Amino acid sequence: MLLTPEILTLDILNLLFLLFATVAFYFSVKILVQYKADETTALQYKLEKQSYLVATIIKFIFTIKIPLFIFFIFTLDKISTVLPGAMCGAGVVNATQYGTPLLMLKILNLYLFGYWIVLNNEDMKLEDRKYLKLKFFIFSFAYILLLIEIILQMSMFFSIDVNSVVDCCGSIYSTTSGTYMADIIGAKPLYLLTLFYGIYLFIIAAYIAKNRYFYSIFNLLFMIIALISLIGFFGTYIYELPTHHCPFCMLQKDYHYVGYFLYIFLFVGTFYGIIVGLIAFSKKESDLRFKISIFFDTLYVVVITAYPLFYYFKNGVFL
Amino acid sequence: MIQLHNVIKTYDDKVQALKGVDLRFKEGEFIVLKGVSGSGKSTILSLIAGLLKPTSGEVIVDNKKISKLPDHFCSEFRRDNIGFIFQRYNLISTLSVHDNIVLPLLPENLERELLEEKFQRTVTLFNIKHKEESLVKNLSGGEQQRVAIARANVNNPKIILADEPTANLDEKLSLDFIEIMRGLKATNKTIILATHDPLFFHLDFVDRIIEVKDGQCY
Repeated sequence: MLLTPEILTLDILNLLFLLFATVAFYFSVKILVQYKADETTALQYKLEKQSYLVATIIKFIFTIKIPLFIFFIFTLDKISTVLPGAMCGAGVVNATQYGTPLLMLKILNLYLFGYWIVLNNEDMKLEDRKYLKLKFFIFSFAYILLLIEIILQMSMFFSIDVNSVVDCCGSIYSTTSGTYMADIIGAKPLYLLTLFYGIYLFIIAAYIAKNRYFYSIFNLLFMIIALISLIGFFGTYIYELPTHHCPFCMLQKDYHYVGYFLYIFLFVGTFYGIIVGLIAFSKKESDLRFKISIFFDTLYVVVITAYPLFYYFKNGVFL
Repeated sequence: MIQLHNVIKTYDDKVQALKGVDLRFKEGEFIVLKGVSGSGKSTILSLIAGLLKPTSGEVIVDNKKISKLPDHFCSEFRRDNIGFIFQRYNLISTLSVHDNIVLPLLPENLERELLEEKFQRTVTLFNIKHKEESLVKNLSGGEQQRVAIARANVNNPKIILADEPTANLDEKLSLDFIEIMRGLKATNKTIILATHDPLFFHLDFVDRIIEVKDGQCY
């Protein structure tokens, strides 16, 4: 078991979130089951009032949860210094059986919570509140995931043994380990880059055509391929080492914390890209989200492309 | 134009202010809601203005179910359609007459010229132009009443609601107020006035008098 001020902070916050989210979940189910938009009974007016209160609670939980993900990553990185063998957050994630599913779930929740916040904002702008039931349905689902996330996180920190030696990122993200991960990140750079830039071009095409559904799908694909290509190809240029495929080391001071910027660019770009396909915004709102998305997607592509290019100009060869 | 269907309003789950009220008001009507204090008159006005939500039942204005509108839509609806004259005027005493009257126009982000044009038209109509720079706290009761009426009308609302508007006025000022109401009625505004002042019960321009008693209308 490992307890540091950062872990305590995360655990206390999670318990508070769980408490409020459970109250919100109770009312959400009630609203889902009993709310009827056209009825004017005392119960319906009461449920309407409760829906405002509950939506406010959820909004605050999710609004804190999203930036808290950065703090979680920071915490992983920080506690890697006390785990023998770990060089970065990768070692901590891999130290227990809970780490990888927790990280995956946190990324999924990041998008889900963000989606809920945007959906709630849209719902509040509409006279007929047509997203009211949908948003509480999504919250009910998100609550279950939040619950699992909290349990996994506490289990992970609880089961970390500071006396056991863990793998470092070099062996976890090795291309010769024979795992699925090794096969994916060990894919030929030509394939990875074709997919990466190809999908980006499709995003631009969907942006020009203002086709929100294709734009959304390509952003989802872009998010996945961008992460794989970052680990498999671009990361090696950040580290200037052909065998170093870690997604965590770039979050460290040695690499000027560039990972935080890259992940934030990727998240903002793909999040707003995905969201335009999921919610029917007004034209003005939709255009704004298209613009935010394409700006951050492009920013990500430009910054990440700069690494191999600069390396080439500096050294005359690619890795 | 305005309909209340089986409206019940209970405060704090204890005090039942309205006990299943059904009312209909036509466009351009002048209605007096008559009743003693606590009978439910103010509650009816607040429900029509969207200041309160019913406990059950519905309030419809211009085919819009305002009792089902989210709060910020109620505010927009009120700003565009309702002029409310309160018993205690509810003016901001430290602001000038000008600033009090243009206050409801500010959320509309009007051009300065248009805002001033609306202001000038209103103060001329209600005969308080000469006081436009005065602070409200330095005005007499009757003048404050005029400012309150001007503020309620600056947006040119279709509906005027007045809650005990003459309760703090002497008879002469009350008669002045009645003449202002007569003028507004002539512009085809729907006016609903809640009062227990007998001065309003025999006026020739009043279309209907509704008695509100123990949360019910007769």
